[in-house]
Amino acid sequence: MASSWFRQPSILPGFGLTLGFTTFFLSALVLLPLAALILKTTNLTWSEFLTTVLDERAVASYRLSFGAALVAALINAVFGFIVAWSLVRYEFPGRRLVDALIDLPFALPTAVSGIALATVFSPTGWLGVRLQEQFGVQVAYTWLGVVVALTLIGLPFVVRSVQPALIEAQRDLEEAAETLGAGPFYVFRRIVLPAVLPALVTGFTMAFARGVGEYGSVVFISGNLPLKTEITPLLIVIKLEQFDYNGAAALGFSMLLVSFVLLFTINLAQAWSRRRHVGAGH
Amino acid sequence: MSIALDQVTKRYQGVPVVNDVSLNVRQGEFLVLLGPSGSGKSTLLRAIAGLTEIDHGRVSLHGKDVTHLTARQRQVGFVFQHYALFRHMSIGDNIEFALRVRKVRASERVARRKELLKLVALEGMDDRLPAQLSGGQQQRVAVARALAHRPEVLLMDEPFGALDAKIREELRRTIRQIQRELKITTILVTHDQEEAFALADRIGVMHQGRLLECGRPDDLYTRPATRFVSTFLGAANLLLGYRTSRGVRFDARSAESPREIVAVLRPEEVELATDAAHVRSNFVGHGVVEELLFGGAVERLRVRMSSDGPVPVAPGNDGNGGLGSLLEVSRTLPEQRQFPVTPGLRVAVGARRIHILPTPISSFTVVAGSEDATRELTDSPLLATLCTRMQTRVGSQVGNGHRAPPGMPVLATGAGSADAARWQLQNGATQLLCVPPSAPLPKHVIIHTLDPSARRATLAVAASLLRHVAAEAVYLVIHPAESLEAERAARMRDLLDARSSALNDHGLDMRTEMRPGDVAQELQAELARYDDSMLVLGTSDPASIRWDWLANVLEGTPPRPVLIVNSARLEAPVEA
Repeated sequence: MASSWFRQPSILPGFGLTLGFTTFFLSALVLLPLAALILKTTNLTWSEFLTTVLDERAVASYRLSFGAALVAALINAVFGFIVAWSLVRYEFPGRRLVDALIDLPFALPTAVSGIALATVFSPTGWLGVRLQEQFGVQVAYTWLGVVVALTLIGLPFVVRSVQPALIEAQRDLEEAAETLGAGPFYVFRRIVLPAVLPALVTGFTMAFARGVGEYGSVVFISGNLPLKTEITPLLIVIKLEQFDYNGAAALGFSMLLVSFVLLFTINLAQAWSRRRHVGAGH
Repeated sequence: MSIALDQVTKRYQGVPVVNDVSLNVRQGEFLVLLGPSGSGKSTLLRAIAGLTEIDHGRVSLHGKDVTHLTARQRQVGFVFQHYALFRHMSIGDNIEFALRVRKVRASERVARRKELLKLVALEGMDDRLPAQLSGGQQQRVAVARALAHRPEVLLMDEPFGALDAKIREELRRTIRQIQRELKITTILVTHDQEEAFALADRIGVMHQGRLLECGRPDDLYTRPATRFVSTFLGAANLLLGYRTSRGVRFDARSAESPREIVAVLRPEEVELATDAAHVRSNFVGHGVVEELLFGGAVERLRVRMSSDGPVPVAPGNDGNGGLGSLLEVSRTLPEQRQFPVTPGLRVAVGARRIHILPTPISSFTVVAGSEDATRELTDSPLLATLCTRMQTRVGSQVGNGHRAPPGMPVLATGAGSADAARWQLQNGATQLLCVPPSAPLPKHVIIHTLDPSARRATLAVAASLLRHVAAEAVYLVIHPAESLEAERAARMRDLLDARSSALNDHGLDMRTEMRPGDVAQELQAELARYDDSMLVLGTSDPASIRWDWLANVLEGTPPRPVLIVNSARLEAPVEA
């Protein structure tokens, strides 16, 4: 019954009002521009659309954008967890400073981090030279560079979502497992990880999503070689610069679609696992 | 011994939260650690389980020293206040956890699980998730889980704390039954005395990190040794009494006797009657019924005693500037029927049974030259701490009377204090405390007796003091540098006796040291070694005190607190 939805008790003024704002903001900021994008795409015929979207250069850029974002998000899931763990569980000098540093990739203009990374990792850069000499690895202007940039950008997402979950995780659960004879690794795998997994997945998802759309920090370190180190957002910008607005819209639309499907799937999976783990009581 | 603790101490940022606790628990015994929040009881329990590392002392389980083993290696069963169930696992998986960790075969696991669920009366709940169970049921699961690996020791940290009264009582019965059935050595921590009485074979009362007393519930209730235990276990009226030739008297007129004592009068041991002639028990005094609460089976009332009646030990609970004390009384229905009272009625009060606390310090009386000076002294850290922790009364007196006040006189150190102390001791004081008004709490207490016969009384007073002030104690025996072999041997015996008597009689663990040299010089050197040191000096003859030297300690800079015990008077028989 629709009318009963409007009578739910709440501390914020009126469900009607808040729903109104929600709809307005979503429409003005998300749906409207996206609709415009889709509308623009319809200027193309099906075959034009498919040629643009399935172009060899475009497909290579998808692979790099999604692949590098995935690798970076996985790296962040592991190391971001470790960072969050050490920030929550240990008391060490400079802890607050480290905590504040985590947010820096959020605040820094992405171009600045991109230029900084490129400087350090370029073949003549301070780290780049050593990596080249010691391991024969080139980071800048390869797909590795893209991964490095996306890892930097995605780190705060994982740390900031795992941190509160770790703070909330009851220490007595770990202690209980310990008194029952479980070793540290067993406790971690069976007790700690299940407790923070939802938060970890959320952090992973956000880092991944951010990585897919990242532009500023990547373009400086990737070298932008077509078919090799060209990310999709860059390809869109290139199309725009060539006044191929429809082509840009088509690429944007395909990215939008893939991202949405991925995010939606992850959300569904999480909701399902939450129901399974916590049970009907909550 | 199933569980043996030896001088266990745990500090957080230098502050001891568990302070020198030694305790033995027999196989199959149910011990309840009782204390207010912050008394260190949970920390002690965690230390036994290996969840908290200790700074000093030893923990043994079944004769094996486990002090340096992890919780995992100690293999105890532990039940947490908030259940600590694994929420993402079913009840069955929770219970099987310890068995899975130990790689027990599946068929065996299932059998054990069924057995445990039956034990806690939760058969058929295997597949539920913790969130689907009520709090009481969750705690039952936690108990079953803690027992799965057949631990020899079960530790429970306020297991009923988060439950409501009815479920708590039910669960209490279950726990007691399981404990009896399995004969498992159990320690349960609680702040609820009713729970302690219902469950315990033995109760250990903790206060400010110390295990104050440990004993059978009825013993602790009827014969407590400390003020804290007497008021924490059940309600109690603490009264200052005077030992006279006609027994213990409470009226202020008897205060002429220097033998002051602290008596515990339970509310249910108070008898009310129309007048003194009708009091069948020992007459205490007259009073007026001030407050009356009907509480079902028992009636609770407060009687304000007339000002010439008994003096309460702790000030402030009457809220009336000490004009007569308020006496807590509880009466059963037959008593109420026999003599119904209403507020405002004047009654005669009798005591059917009193218990005299074996404490050597009954009360303090601050003696100084002016009101301001007495107030300053009353607020001094040492005295303020002692009187709150001992729950004792601090009186004040301006100038010397014609004899020493009852209880322990307290003087300020500084110019003239040695003479003042001497006067007090010559005029009837059995003990005497000299305090520098602004000195911090002592951290090192040096105990010395001028002659061995004073040892017993001195140790009793020192132990009473140290029970309430967290300080390190050292018992110093000093013999002249060129003393004979036999003389030295006698001193050594004295030292060993002192140590064992302190530990056995008073639970006081102190360092002992024997040194050659001059008494005054050695004591002064020892006092100077620490910033916050204090001297406890025992003698059976105040005339043997070298006052010139003591004046140095009392009037020097910085002055040190000194407690003098005159054992001759303290142990003298009551004059007939």
